[in-house]
Amino acid sequence: MAKLTINDLKKIKEKVHKEMALRDGTRRVKVTVHMGTCGIASGANEVMDAILQEIEETGVSDVFVTTSGCMGLCSREPLVTVEIINKEPIKYEHMNPNKMRQVFRKHILEGEVQTPFVLARGTEVVK
Amino acid sequence: MKSVDEELLKEFTPEQVAKLNEIINKYKNKPGGLIPVLEEAQVALEYLPLPVQKKIAEGLNLPLSRVYGVVTFYSFFCMTPRGKHTVRVCLGTACYVRGGKAIHETIQKQFGIEDGETTADRLFTLETVRCLGACGLGPVVVVDEDVHGRVKPGKVKEILSQYT
Amino acid sequence: MKIFRSHLLICGGTGCKSSGSATIKETLLKELEKRKLDEEIKVVETGCNGFCALGPIMVVYPDTVLYVMLKPTDIPELVEEHLVKGRVLERLVYKEPVTDKAIPTMQDIPFFALQELRVLRNRGLIDPEKIEEYIARDGYAGMAKALTEMTPDQILKEMLDSGLRGRGGAGFPTGMKWKFAAQSQSDVKYVLCNADEGDPGAFMDRSVLEGDPHAVLEGMVIAAKAIGSHNGYIYCRAEYPLAIHRLNVAIGQAKEAGLLGENILGTGFDFDLEIYQGAGAFVCGEETALMTSIEGKRGMPRPRPPFPAVAGLWQKPSILNNVETLANVGQIILRGAKWYSSVGTERSKGTKVFALTGDVANVGLVEVPMGTTLGTIVYDIGGGIPKGKKFKAAQLGGPSGGCIPVQHLNAPVDYEKVAELGAIMGSGGLIVMNEGKCAVDMARFFMDFCQDESCGKCTPCREGTKRMLEILTNITHGKGKEGDIELLEEMAEVIKNSALCGLGQTAPNPVLSTIRYFRNEYVEHIRDHHCRAAVCSAMFKSPCQHTCPIEMDIPSYIALIRAERFDDAYKILLQTNPFPSVCGRVCDHKCQTKCRRGSTDEPLAIKFLKRFITDNAKRPPVEMVPVTRKEKIAVIGAGPAGLTTARDLAMRGYKVTVFEELSHAGGMLYWGIPSYRLPRNILDKEIDDIKALGVDIKLNTRVGRDINFANLDKDFDYIYLATGAHKSQKMGLPGEDLKNVFGGVEFLRDFNANEDKWINGQKKLGSKVAVIGGGNSAIDAARVALRLGAEVTILYRRLKQDMPAADEEIKAAEEEGIKIELLVAPLKIEGKGDKVTSITCQRMKLGNFDSSGRKRPVAIADSEFTLQVDAVIAAVGQVPDMSFVDKKSGIVVNKWDTFDVGNVYNSRTGNERYFAGGDAVTGPDTVIGAIAAGHKAADDMDSAIRTANGEPAYEKSAEEKIDIPLIIDEETVESPQMAMPELESAERKLNFGEVELGFSREDAIKEACRCLRCDAEL
Repeated sequence: MAKLTINDLKKIKEKVHKEMALRDGTRRVKVTVHMGTCGIASGANEVMDAILQEIEETGVSDVFVTTSGCMGLCSREPLVTVEIINKEPIKYEHMNPNKMRQVFRKHILEGEVQTPFVLARGTEVVK
Repeated sequence: MKSVDEELLKEFTPEQVAKLNEIINKYKNKPGGLIPVLEEAQVALEYLPLPVQKKIAEGLNLPLSRVYGVVTFYSFFCMTPRGKHTVRVCLGTACYVRGGKAIHETIQKQFGIEDGETTADRLFTLETVRCLGACGLGPVVVVDEDVHGRVKPGKVKEILSQYT
Repeated sequence: MKIFRSHLLICGGTGCKSSGSATIKETLLKELEKRKLDEEIKVVETGCNGFCALGPIMVVYPDTVLYVMLKPTDIPELVEEHLVKGRVLERLVYKEPVTDKAIPTMQDIPFFALQELRVLRNRGLIDPEKIEEYIARDGYAGMAKALTEMTPDQILKEMLDSGLRGRGGAGFPTGMKWKFAAQSQSDVKYVLCNADEGDPGAFMDRSVLEGDPHAVLEGMVIAAKAIGSHNGYIYCRAEYPLAIHRLNVAIGQAKEAGLLGENILGTGFDFDLEIYQGAGAFVCGEETALMTSIEGKRGMPRPRPPFPAVAGLWQKPSILNNVETLANVGQIILRGAKWYSSVGTERSKGTKVFALTGDVANVGLVEVPMGTTLGTIVYDIGGGIPKGKKFKAAQLGGPSGGCIPVQHLNAPVDYEKVAELGAIMGSGGLIVMNEGKCAVDMARFFMDFCQDESCGKCTPCREGTKRMLEILTNITHGKGKEGDIELLEEMAEVIKNSALCGLGQTAPNPVLSTIRYFRNEYVEHIRDHHCRAAVCSAMFKSPCQHTCPIEMDIPSYIALIRAERFDDAYKILLQTNPFPSVCGRVCDHKCQTKCRRGSTDEPLAIKFLKRFITDNAKRPPVEMVPVTRKEKIAVIGAGPAGLTTARDLAMRGYKVTVFEELSHAGGMLYWGIPSYRLPRNILDKEIDDIKALGVDIKLNTRVGRDINFANLDKDFDYIYLATGAHKSQKMGLPGEDLKNVFGGVEFLRDFNANEDKWINGQKKLGSKVAVIGGGNSAIDAARVALRLGAEVTILYRRLKQDMPAADEEIKAAEEEGIKIELLVAPLKIEGKGDKVTSITCQRMKLGNFDSSGRKRPVAIADSEFTLQVDAVIAAVGQVPDMSFVDKKSGIVVNKWDTFDVGNVYNSRTGNERYFAGGDAVTGPDTVIGAIAAGHKAADDMDSAIRTANGEPAYEKSAEEKIDIPLIIDEETVESPQMAMPELESAERKLNFGEVELGFSREDAIKEACRCLRCDAEL
């Protein structure tokens, strides 16, 4: 990365905003696996492996997986957020590889939210 | 200098000794380099017996007492060899209130070792730690790098049997 | 091609494979072969169908039945039922989840909705290893503003105006700290970040470093600009490898992007930093010790002055800020001091992150405005205390802090209030403790920590913490001495005033704060060797026995059940309890709340096992005890307290006469508890045993009516007053005097006296009955009313979990069809003539917390409503009837209408010859409480008599030795408590037959095998 100027900061902000909002056309679904120490200790790595494996097996190209830090609710870890374009993000709690596979097949591919595993929809509000 | 190296070679391989030299040289002229040297040396050599401390003292041009003082002050450093796996039971407050004490007792009983000791077969070293920051999962037992959360006394055997 | 009548499709996808579908397939093939079905039925392995979480999965064609979560042990049954008999095996069939279940939004969940995210604003949203995502959320914009638009003085002013105080613990204003360093003249200055989060129970710094590392870097650059520094260190503990990794990534990216290093953002400002790994020493969280540690020495604190702002790291001016503090800085500069100080309290601005852990439902990180109440954090955000336990205290500030007990749940949490309550904010570790935690043990735990972590440089801390720990350890081992508490307090003061650094100065805080709020528990440990939380195990054999008010030898009788020696088990029961078959039915079983099995799965069914013994073993015969003592004893009241005293004293050779006002002995056991919970013949057998010892019970004899006080005083040497609490409290409502308004105990008493008349209709209650109250008598009255054919509604002003009645009673009442209206309080009872026609109530909502930790009900305006009823039973509390007491006797009745006791002996009244106990002293309490009081009184009376006569103390004659078998299972297999078989609820409504039917022999032995034998000494 080249050295940034203040203008660059603004440009990056706009560009990433677009990406994060899934509006660049190639990405339909963003899956965030929350991987702080607590998440990893309760099995986030295995959950991550499961979804990557599913993507490889099914060969889909419009699902992109990213990681993030702790969501704060450690007692419900591992947590996974699934955001499908133009829909509210869905947060799943107490995930494991099997649940992740089910969410992948049913929710990400077929659009059917797997209610029994859901913690909530939407995002936290930052005032 | 020679005698120190000879002493070292009784316990460590030439590669390890070379690595130690490399670490010392890296931090030789850096102020405050002693602790990083000890940290890296422990990773390379697993433990820091007196010959290693002597070598470091000479290399960094510090009195041995200073090196020994630092080694004994910080809980991260150890002077005796360790088991193949380190079992660390968290006795931080959150784990303690959720039953960490019972887990600790179970392991002590099952392996016949006290805190800080290593099993006769050198497989496990038992330690207690103060809070690993995984309080949400208490009680927590960490084996090497693996964190096992919500451990119950009855599950200890099963968890440890995975490590051979 | 072969034709099969059925295809079994077993999922062989990765998910089902990992949950064992291969074994299922194998077992299935074998089973089919065994039953010679392998020619008719084909097993096929398929790909994933998405239901991995429920695997292994099997679909049976052509019926298309989906079986889920199969286990090899299920296969024979499945083959038998479905493939042989053609019946669907319901147990294993996939059940459609409720798909129309509304999914809550994050804002519907109090855990998230009540938080105000500033430090944690990026949590879960950005990839911490991608600097672009941080920048996209206004990252480094504050830094850019500081570097291009602001002078150092302007930055300092903004920080001072924001009111931000150090989040590491002490709460020193950050702007002030920076200002001092800015004023120091030096070519080299340092900005240090304290990421040595050593406080057990605090993990917000780790979370910030892992989830949003750039926020810390940004804060450090701004600080550097403000004080004129170009070098920094982040001192991070080695126990946080992930945090160090992410910090390294972040530093690398920031340097590459020119946001760190030379000529930042092209502004000409240079700042570089590196990570320094701490090697594990709690004291290095102290600022001067941390600096000494970076210098490569033992991390010991240095005396101040000089302060670090003048001479810090390498003797250069330095500032040290904590991770959370620094993570606030970028936003403050970007959005302004005014924005920041818009939340919080007068002197504590902004938000605070708490690491919420311990006995709380939602464990995690919580960021709330300063001044949020403790109750909101623990109950609304934290979701309260799991497993129906009660809140005891919250430890704030870790080993340097203190606890805040239940009576302060309404306290707004900010620096000032927390300090006033004897804790400190610390780094924000908030550990919730339930009633199962011992205050003394917690103090010992923290002192152990401080003692262990003391660096040893100054004597008060090195020696003082050791001595304090010794005293605390002695107390928890039952070796405490009178004066220990005072000694602890004195030492605490000395250490606080003389230790060199913060670690030592604050080390005594947990001790002082537990003494402040839980002094009683210290006294109980020292004087009675009793730990009410059953934690200090050096003082007892097993937690259940220690918790039982009469210390029944529970592990022994359970072991005897397992060995099928029921007759011996009965003997153990009678050693301590005159009413085991009563307690096997109606005891509130405090023992079970402390059963260690409960932490694995569920506690043992101790009460039911006790009942099993009394139902199935031979009751040991009782022989008359010859009277060998000259003193004559009178007992007033034939309830459990009085009869226990009578039994104990008779067994010691005293002649005891019991006077009972009513026509049947048993007190509340007979008159208060309905027969469907305690059949009459059960109680009578136990009373008969007491009579058989030689105790004389005179029924229908009220003191003050049938015999006068003066005669009693003359005819007996010592008198025990155990008159109970048999009068219902009035509600103080209009209409309370109408004819069909009953007091709870009065109704139950009348019913028990005239059961026939009530049942055959000579006495009538009504067809629609309102019962007011939430205690056991309210539930008893309601269930009796229901059995008399009424439609019953219980009105209670709080929530169900606040009801004092036993959970199992509430559940049983609901099963039988009793309606419970919660958050409702009666206002007035209306009537026509002298008859009740309706009751008007109002709805309540929950306000702030009362001193018991329950939310206070507050009336909702204009919420009145009227229920059509023809009878009202008010069971809102009971008080003793003290009208028989002779005012000149010296026996003191206090303002709660109970006896004052404690005249040298715990149970002696103001008159040396009169003792008292049971509900008449404590107010309404439990059966086991009354029995305990009875034992105590017998001891006290006997001891008073012997002391007066100059005789040696009583020595119990040797009991028959019962050998207790010791069988302990190596492995504990999780299994829930055995369920009690019960009468069907439809059947229950029709009669007063006993509801609980008792364990079978097989069930009882199985349940007994669940005992972990905490009493065993190996």
